[in-house]
Amino acid sequence: MTLAFSLSGVGKCYPHFALRDITLDLPEGQVMGLVGVNGAGKTTLLRLLTGLAAPDAGDVTVLGHRLPEGQVAAKRDIGFASEDMRLYRGQTLRWHMDLMRGIYPDWSEAYAVELLKRFDLRAEQTLGGFSHGQRVKALLLLCLARRPRLLLLDEPTTGLDPVARIEVLEALADVLRDESRSVLFSSHNTHDVEQMADSITFLHQGRLVASADKHAFVDRWRRVVCQGALPEGLEAWPEIASARANGSLVEIKARAWDAGMPERLAAQGLQVQRDDPMALEDIFVTAVRSGAVA
Amino acid sequence: MGPQAVQERLHYMDHLRALAMLAGVFFHAALAYSPLMQGFFPTADRQNSAGVDAVIWGLHLVRMPLFFLVAGFFAAWVIAARGGPALARQRVRRILVPFLVAWPLVLWSLSASTGWALENVQHPSAFLAMVREWLQQPDPPRLPPGTGHLWFLYYLLLFGVLHWVVRALALGRIGAWLVARHPAWLLLGLPVLLWPALASVSAPHPAPEGLVPQFWAIAYYGAFFALGTLVHARADWPERARPFAPWLALASLALYAVFLWRLSVELPGQAQPVASWGMALLEACLSVWLAVLCLLAGRRLLDRASGVMRYLAQSAYWTYLLHLPLLFAVQYVLMDKDWSWGLKFAVAVSATLAACLLSYQLLVRHTPLRGFVG
Amino acid sequence: MTLNIPVIKLLVAKDWQLFQKQLAVCVLAGIVSLCFLGLAKPWAFYVGSLMLIIVMVSSACFSIATSLVVERKEQTLAFVMSLPVSPLDFTVAKLVGNLVTFLVPFGVMLGGTLAVVLFTPLPDGLFVYALLIFGYLLFAFSVSLAIAMAVETEGWATFGMIAPMVLINPYMMALTQVPDIKDRIGVDAIVWTTPAVLILSALVTMAVGLVAATAWRHARKPAFY
Repeated sequence: MTLAFSLSGVGKCYPHFALRDITLDLPEGQVMGLVGVNGAGKTTLLRLLTGLAAPDAGDVTVLGHRLPEGQVAAKRDIGFASEDMRLYRGQTLRWHMDLMRGIYPDWSEAYAVELLKRFDLRAEQTLGGFSHGQRVKALLLLCLARRPRLLLLDEPTTGLDPVARIEVLEALADVLRDESRSVLFSSHNTHDVEQMADSITFLHQGRLVASADKHAFVDRWRRVVCQGALPEGLEAWPEIASARANGSLVEIKARAWDAGMPERLAAQGLQVQRDDPMALEDIFVTAVRSGAVA
Repeated sequence: MGPQAVQERLHYMDHLRALAMLAGVFFHAALAYSPLMQGFFPTADRQNSAGVDAVIWGLHLVRMPLFFLVAGFFAAWVIAARGGPALARQRVRRILVPFLVAWPLVLWSLSASTGWALENVQHPSAFLAMVREWLQQPDPPRLPPGTGHLWFLYYLLLFGVLHWVVRALALGRIGAWLVARHPAWLLLGLPVLLWPALASVSAPHPAPEGLVPQFWAIAYYGAFFALGTLVHARADWPERARPFAPWLALASLALYAVFLWRLSVELPGQAQPVASWGMALLEACLSVWLAVLCLLAGRRLLDRASGVMRYLAQSAYWTYLLHLPLLFAVQYVLMDKDWSWGLKFAVAVSATLAACLLSYQLLVRHTPLRGFVG
Repeated sequence: MTLNIPVIKLLVAKDWQLFQKQLAVCVLAGIVSLCFLGLAKPWAFYVGSLMLIIVMVSSACFSIATSLVVERKEQTLAFVMSLPVSPLDFTVAKLVGNLVTFLVPFGVMLGGTLAVVLFTPLPDGLFVYALLIFGYLLFAFSVSLAIAMAVETEGWATFGMIAPMVLINPYMMALTQVPDIKDRIGVDAIVWTTPAVLILSALVTMAVGLVAATAWRHARKPAFY
């Protein structure tokens, strides 16, 4: 199984922020969603993956190239679009497309024209006249039309209206149909992550909070409502992320639910009334609030 | 318009350019036998005839304007077919490089032959006599070098740059608007535009041989270059102008007669450092109308492929680059001969053309030089 | 460290396209000023040469501003960095683009000025003086370029463009304070005195050194951030 990228013990220090001890893999053909609050380190992580930043510790390997030494070769097959990227306001989208076509031999003009239609963009319009949503779509078009092996997208749907959001997600879904291409995208919108990602990574305060297959998250996290009194030390259990008393009920959010849990809780005087799967957003907020867990 | 039609249009343009260049050989040769140029031209011969003046000044007024018109047409054509960068590369290869190589060679050969003439000719022209006197002085001042007869290459490069400036600043709309109007706008408006430029120099207007560009030359020749680009953009303009051809021909004939008469009265020289406004207007009208007439005639008569014309078109550039030093050398030798001006003229032209065409066939046609000057 | 020449060429072409309109205006002004010189009148000569200096300085400033300052301000830098270029390629492209944009009109002006000095009645002693002035202009440009590449803010980059150009007046006055140089200006002969040689070689060496140091400093970075 080839890896699209592999981070091992990676750290990066800035004056007021540090990314620490990141170990992360993405197998080829998979989609990973990166979830984290503002300032968690998502952009830094993405920059490390594109070779734009050099790690202070650890190894970064992308598409078989070690970064940042092999950044030129890696960037040929990486499509990177981030929120702080701007295109040249005085130039048209067509100018940018011609620039890309000159640089990337794999540029597909036919696919680019198709994307123009789907995203409802005019190639002869100057970028200065584009709205935020159109700009995001334009950046994405410039990335997608050259068919990169690895797509790194920093908040691709943030700030988009519902129609534009669906257009972008559909275009991404097309990419994913090609099983040799991989995507890493960061988002606040956990719904998008839930919908598109195969695996999910939580980042908080520069550390990896959790990273697993989407189904593993969905399977392992449970919101459990129990009857009884909240015993002392329940939150210290490694499997329990949070426990809260609510009158005669106790609401427990467990991160590693298994079949033996109801018995163990009963031994503590808690009768399990019901257990429900948790939405990703809830999982994320709970994980962040409860502290870092691998 | 199908590709074959496009090719046909280019035939007549190519032939017109060749004829304009070859006419230059005849023109420069004839200058030696023009009474008007007796005091100025290095190879001015003691044998001359007023009949020469009657013909060559008309040629002078239309030859280079027509050349620049065709050049502008082809520049626009290359941009449309292959893009701006391709035109820039072509300009470097076919104009800049030949200019840089030919310029010192032409200057050297001209000064060498003039040097020989200064030493040996028994019947010097007024110009040679003056230079002889001048060289007797203790400290003759050095004159800055000019571009000689290669000034057209220099200005072609300038117009290429200016063409790019116009495109970069999107100023072409003005010209496009003008050429979309009734042809009378251009036929009457262009001479008025050129009038001040021609009024700032002597009549007949000189060749802008200086190393520093001249406002009047940029305005005058640049206007024809621009007209050429506009004719390419509006391919139907010549057809729309055709109905006016008979009027233009009559008017040109009449104005030319007036021009020749005024020329005999307002002789160029110290007394007339710049042309009078009347003369300038005559020159402007004649240049524009004769150039347009040549364009229309070329379209009617030269728009078919012809082996001879094709060979002449391909050899015209090389011939024109080489002809002046060769011509001067021959005419310096002929200066002391006692033949009639007609015979001298014929010998000068034939010898020059023969040498040029022979050297073209041997040195250019089947060698890498063809990509530059063939 | 290998250079990715095709991409460098594309980056230089891209920067050139971005300031094409300003460049076209500068070129037009340059041709007009040359025509003024050709009028062969004293007032026209003054106007023409002044315009030429302005053209040279403004084309250099526009080039530095669009390729470095504006790119940082408009945040298009991130876009460029995501292309398959290394910091070395990027640095080389910026330096080459700006140097060519400056050196072409600079070379034309230098050649033209020296030709005018040699071929007209002007005293040939101006040859050395002219070279000293042009040497300073070359040095001033390399300072502007180095500063613009090093600083993050528009303000300092602009200061880096204006300050060296403004200092040309004190420099010219200082030159006339050196007797060896001042005395030779009006003489109709090209005389290379020791102070002149020293000053000129110092200026050229510093200019080349600054550009080289800038290139080396930026190219050494393994990554952009």
